[in-house]
Amino acid sequence: MANSEKKLFDQEMLQRIEAEKVRWNKETLKGKAGEENYYTESGIPIDILYTPAHLKELDYFQDLGFPGEAPYVRGVYPNMYRGRLFTVRQLSGFGAPEDCNIRIKFLLDNGATGVNIVFDLPTVRGYNSDDPEAEGNVGACGVAIDSLEDMEALFEGVPIDEISSSVVTHMPSTTVVLMAMYTVMAEKRGIPLEKLSGTNQNDFLMETTIGSAPEILPPKASFRLQCDAIEYASKNLPRWNPVSYNGYNLREAGTSAVQEVAIAIANAIATAEELIRRGNKIDDFAKRMSFFWDLCNDFFEEIAKCRASRIVFQEVMRDRFNAKDIKSQLMRFHVQTAGITLTAVEPLNNIARSAIQGLAAILGGSQSLHIDSFDEAYSAPTEEAALVSLRTQQILQTETNVVNTVDPLAGSYYVETLTQEMAKLIREYVATIEAKGGLVAVTENGWLHREISDFAYKQQKKIESGEHKIVGVNYFPMEHKETDIDVFRYPETEGRQKEKLAQLRQKRDQGKLDKALGILRDKCHSDENIMPYVKDAVEALATLGEIEEIFREEFGLWQFPLA
Amino acid sequence: MEKRIKVVMAKLGLDIHWRGAVVVSRMLRDEGMEVVYLGNQFPEQIVEAASQEGADVVGLSTLGGNHSILGPKVVRLLKEKGLDDVLVLMGGVIPPDDIPKLKEAGVAEVFGPESRIDTISTFIRSKVI
Repeated sequence: MANSEKKLFDQEMLQRIEAEKVRWNKETLKGKAGEENYYTESGIPIDILYTPAHLKELDYFQDLGFPGEAPYVRGVYPNMYRGRLFTVRQLSGFGAPEDCNIRIKFLLDNGATGVNIVFDLPTVRGYNSDDPEAEGNVGACGVAIDSLEDMEALFEGVPIDEISSSVVTHMPSTTVVLMAMYTVMAEKRGIPLEKLSGTNQNDFLMETTIGSAPEILPPKASFRLQCDAIEYASKNLPRWNPVSYNGYNLREAGTSAVQEVAIAIANAIATAEELIRRGNKIDDFAKRMSFFWDLCNDFFEEIAKCRASRIVFQEVMRDRFNAKDIKSQLMRFHVQTAGITLTAVEPLNNIARSAIQGLAAILGGSQSLHIDSFDEAYSAPTEEAALVSLRTQQILQTETNVVNTVDPLAGSYYVETLTQEMAKLIREYVATIEAKGGLVAVTENGWLHREISDFAYKQQKKIESGEHKIVGVNYFPMEHKETDIDVFRYPETEGRQKEKLAQLRQKRDQGKLDKALGILRDKCHSDENIMPYVKDAVEALATLGEIEEIFREEFGLWQFPLA
Repeated sequence: MEKRIKVVMAKLGLDIHWRGAVVVSRMLRDEGMEVVYLGNQFPEQIVEAASQEGADVVGLSTLGGNHSILGPKVVRLLKEKGLDDVLVLMGGVIPPDDIPKLKEAGVAEVFGPESRIDTISTFIRSKVI
């Protein structure tokens, strides 16, 4: 519909409302609008009262429309949760793969509808469990994976052709290896790759900006591997999301809600440009791009963020890349509630925080949800705490009726105003990144890192000054209250993984392995997609650490910008 | 004139969450201290840097569960280098039960996610003369 001039409200009516608001302010409110200035978490001023006058530019069909139709602000599917509830995707990951397999089955047996695996830091960083650099971290904070056999142990008895698996591979260099292990495992089980459904994180910012490490690949190399994984999946795994642009960890590290979404979209733009440069078509790959948001405590702003993110992504895909397939224009996202908002004091209060954030995810139209556990300011969740999170999801789904109508907050003068404002700010921040040369460039020159650390610093200042209130911490803190809480203990893993690695090295066909690794090394310097060669190496039982060492040697190492 | 306190701050090992370490570094600078932020490092490099910089304090940030092994290792390596008087502080996500063990191993204090910067700086000033 070309430039519809029909605004949502009658112009005469709007004038009257504006005039009446002036009167109301004077006669009824009598100036008692509060002493302070009020702002959302990302700095948008909050009016004491929202009326249709705030929406005078809003065009129902252009700016809202219907769910499952452009601009998708009301949701990517017409029936949303009536058609399919969001996936209950609680994170698990600790110990050896055999330990973690038990937690996966526990969650599935109690009603989780998807698997969500996080890896230990040596795995995320591309080191074997017996590497000296892995000391102290094996099986902590995630599950340890060293080889194809570990991946098989992790998913033993889990029907990967029936349920979807989020394989949280953080960095592209480990994505290509873990994704290769997952696909080789499926092939060995006789499952065609077309049947595999799931998600990798695969975001080069995890390697270069959010998670520093002593040894990391340069942004360009990491970005190339990110694109290789996406390109491979677009040709071989039609139901797989080979990237989940990670706003979550940006936010945890230190960004506003606006920056979180804008940086993730700038990453999608960079990927699309690169894959098109390689000769792919936008509709070959864009439909499997997915996103990952962090929902913090500013309830309405977070809902507005979810809605606005869909508007901006649709504009980018339609106007800039000329995507024709509707699915290429749909922003689908997973939400995890905000770890950064959890407190170590009075940890049970975290159940309230996480439930409210989870509700915002549903009202924002998320496709998949993880609700953090109350004990996560101490360690990975205990089984009990993980169950409370799972139950919180189920209470929201079944007892509250919030899933039964699509986008129930649409039409709220406040939510629509915020949604439009957030969309505008996201567009502006994307434009700022582009003006500075695009996402890979602002990563290389440290600009992005400074933006994040500046924001984190300012936010901490606000907490220290009491401007930003946290219940039990700087607002009504209790004196001398000891916290009595059961804390999850990681099972001893390092010894067991080392033993398995020793056995693996004994039984491998060395000739086959050396050949596969040699070819992989050469392909690092070619323009070819690396995935098939990583798969060959994985099949020859190369370890994660061996493959990563080749990347480190061939691509070189990059110095992370410091504070 | 008051001595300018020198702090070497590092993320321990492969840990990936730098927000706390970066923010504390900047705030200790605001408090007038000289802070060298190393980013992620392993114990050997941290101790080497502390030695070269002549650090009064080594601050170690950890979230990934490696604190019980790598924290005491830093203390031990400092001692081996004769740097017994360097104050070792830790911060991050650390289960309460582990704190006494870390202190026994020679870590001077452990600061949780909710510690205020003035608590940390006051502690440092009381120990570093």
